[in-house]
Amino acid sequence: MMGTRMPTSPPTLSRSLMLAWRTLRSMRTALILLLLLALGSVAGSLIPQWPNSAARVVEYQARHPVWGDFFERAGLFDVFGSWWFVLITVLLFVSLVACLIPRTRSVVRAFRARPMQAREIDAFPQHQVMAVNGTPDDAIAAAGRVMRRRWYRVARDADRPAIAGEKGLAREAGSLMFHWAFILILVGVIFGKGTGYSGYALVVEGDSWFDAAANYDGQIRTGRFFDGDYSGTGIELHDFGSAYRQTGQPMDFVSQVTLLHPDGSPIRDQDIRVNHPAEVNGLRIYQVNFGWAPRVTIRDPGGEVFDHEVVMDRVPAPDGVPELAMPWRGVVKLPGEGPGGRDVAIELQLWPDGEAYTNFLVTGQPTAMLRANHPVLRYSVWQGRLTDLANDRLDTSLMRRTARGLVGEGFSGDLTTGRQLSPGDVGSGSTISFPELRQYSVFQVGRDAGVPIVLVAAILILVGLLPALYTSRRKVWVRAERAGDGSMLEMGGFALQRKPQFEEEFTKLADAIMSAAGGPLPTEPSESRHKPTEQQVGIP
Amino acid sequence: MTDLQWARLSNDAFNLALFAYLAAMVGYFAYLAFGRDLIWRVSRTVAFVGLAGGVVSIVARGFAANRVPWGNMYEYSVLLATLVVAGYLLIVEGMFHARTLGGFALMFSVLTMAVAVSFLYVGPGPLVPALNSYWIKIHVQAAIWGSSLFALGGIVTLLYLWQDRRERAQLTSLRTQEPPPIMGGSLDVDPGVGVGASSGPEAPADLDPDVDEIAPSGAVAKSSRLPSAQTLDRVAYRIIAFAFPIWTFAVIAGAIWAQEAWGRYWGWDPKETWSFITWVIFAGYLHARATSGWKGRRAAVIAVVGFVSLLITYYAVNLWIVGLHSYAK
Repeated sequence: MMGTRMPTSPPTLSRSLMLAWRTLRSMRTALILLLLLALGSVAGSLIPQWPNSAARVVEYQARHPVWGDFFERAGLFDVFGSWWFVLITVLLFVSLVACLIPRTRSVVRAFRARPMQAREIDAFPQHQVMAVNGTPDDAIAAAGRVMRRRWYRVARDADRPAIAGEKGLAREAGSLMFHWAFILILVGVIFGKGTGYSGYALVVEGDSWFDAAANYDGQIRTGRFFDGDYSGTGIELHDFGSAYRQTGQPMDFVSQVTLLHPDGSPIRDQDIRVNHPAEVNGLRIYQVNFGWAPRVTIRDPGGEVFDHEVVMDRVPAPDGVPELAMPWRGVVKLPGEGPGGRDVAIELQLWPDGEAYTNFLVTGQPTAMLRANHPVLRYSVWQGRLTDLANDRLDTSLMRRTARGLVGEGFSGDLTTGRQLSPGDVGSGSTISFPELRQYSVFQVGRDAGVPIVLVAAILILVGLLPALYTSRRKVWVRAERAGDGSMLEMGGFALQRKPQFEEEFTKLADAIMSAAGGPLPTEPSESRHKPTEQQVGIP
Repeated sequence: MTDLQWARLSNDAFNLALFAYLAAMVGYFAYLAFGRDLIWRVSRTVAFVGLAGGVVSIVARGFAANRVPWGNMYEYSVLLATLVVAGYLLIVEGMFHARTLGGFALMFSVLTMAVAVSFLYVGPGPLVPALNSYWIKIHVQAAIWGSSLFALGGIVTLLYLWQDRRERAQLTSLRTQEPPPIMGGSLDVDPGVGVGASSGPEAPADLDPDVDEIAPSGAVAKSSRLPSAQTLDRVAYRIIAFAFPIWTFAVIAGAIWAQEAWGRYWGWDPKETWSFITWVIFAGYLHARATSGWKGRRAAVIAVVGFVSLLITYYAVNLWIVGLHSYAK
């Protein structure tokens, strides 16, 4: 059907569809699609991608506006989410299914059908004739036993003493399992990502955090079919610890937490570290980041206006400076708290190691700060108008700096003069205190119910691959005829793959059948004949 | 022995291995050129000495750092070079009795080790937290075995393409000089066409991806000490078909590890992307072998592209492309 040429007539819709379908089914199309997929992935790995490195995309766009614009339009900044990558994938899967359905049908048929009898068996690549000591029926029964013992499926001829055997359907079955498993992966990915979510939770030491939409602070990606059913599970962070070698190479990051029920009652204590996530209520919690969060108290003559941990960001390190040598930055925004109702912002810079800071001031040499050691907080006070209330940046275009100073852990400073205050001194009444330095830990929190499906699919891929690559389809026929007191056995067979191995296997099979069928006939010498091997083919 | 002594032993054994490989490489090329059996025997012995040195270097490195000795690019390179040599000696020479390819396999290992010691060397030390998992034993081992076998397959494929071109050229010149010899179809101009000839009555030609028939080397191949193109093609296929499930396993193990370490099994990190690209290309190669019209040279070209992709997956991704697998330093 597939091979017949269509009569030449104007193309109709159904004929075009047929043509498209047949093109999709061909191995050549699948190959080209596979290579296109690889090509797209190459682009995805060389060009910075929005989901992996947004900052580098922005940088690239600023540096190469023309190319940046082109890449953006072509979806090259998000290759793996672009319409054309999805299209290639979909076409590949359609082609795969189109190819798999008929192949699966024929394998199922082959499993159901009994091995076919052959009319002539002396034309097969492997062929042997031998005289044995039993009746034809006994010899065929013995051959059947030997073949079954070697995992051949056999069928006895109804009319005469002959038997057909075949083996190696595992090759095609394995190949099909391998290919169908990719459909299963697709199902697992779509189900898991579609119904799940993944976000980042920032928790300061001593605080608790609960799994709910609002608490992700926008740092969350939910699946298309996610119904808003957050688990409500809580994480209480007791302590975050990091250990470094003297060279600054990190050794260990660990968060000691108590996992909580939605009502705040404890589930269990656990250490979450890199490579050791916590799993609770279908939720997986990973250690992904950490940083410093100094507690800062700000008072004005009217009383306390701010008392909270300030989450600090790393200052990006210039080339050649170790990241650990860089200070951390943060900001406190106090709208309307200044004189005359003006907005106030306090810009903070933290040096976790005070000695490293002093050293830097004296020598100009940055040194890695591996642990907290007399931390110091530098601050600048700005007054004027705030343009936004985000706490990860400060726009000072409408503001004026009124003071700056430095305060050590456990001390206070004067916000008007920038002077460090001794205990008991209240200065101008507007003060900043730095009672303690804490750390925060960032967890990736998410649910992906598709993971087990994808895992099963991955196992099926491997399990299917082995027979698909290393076994072969083999067919063997044996027939017997009465000859004197015993019978003449004629054997023929071939393998579709791994032919040299089959030659050896065939000889062994023949020997086993011969001895099972009563051994060689003693009176006549057994006649054994091989087809000429390939080495001899060339001789005319 | 102290850690320092182990580290010194590791470096000394590395140097021994590198020089032994270099000497064996020269020897194997000399064997290819002159075909004297003695040269082969000596080269093979020297290659085995180098292999022993490589193994000692790796083991001593493990004792020096008190962990698995494949935690950074230097260590990975040494293991890769060692496995390529071992794979050549055991598979190509041991199983397929092709003795003339040693120079090419050793050249790969010498280059890998030279790059490792010149640009990638770091002293033994503990692992960064992201690598500190039992999955490093599984994933990285599988990746190294898969890479070394793919590399070996890639080298043999390159030689196949070279030999195939040579045979074609000689065949053409033979044809112009005298009538073609009767060769039972095995010297057909397109290797893909003759394949089905000796199959059984039900065997369609395009269902036979592993062309297993050992070709008579014939008049053409005898003029070269390299094995015949068809033999090279078969050896390359066998090695790649052996490597493919291992590489598949390495990618899967990597995904499982990524799920443990980074909270997602797949994130299109450059290393993930490139190991996927390499996988796709070699999958394409295996399919091409079973597609009429793509067998032989076209399939071989795909395998060579896969070999290049493998090198990119290893070197370029670690050294130049920023991602989660940037463990070089």
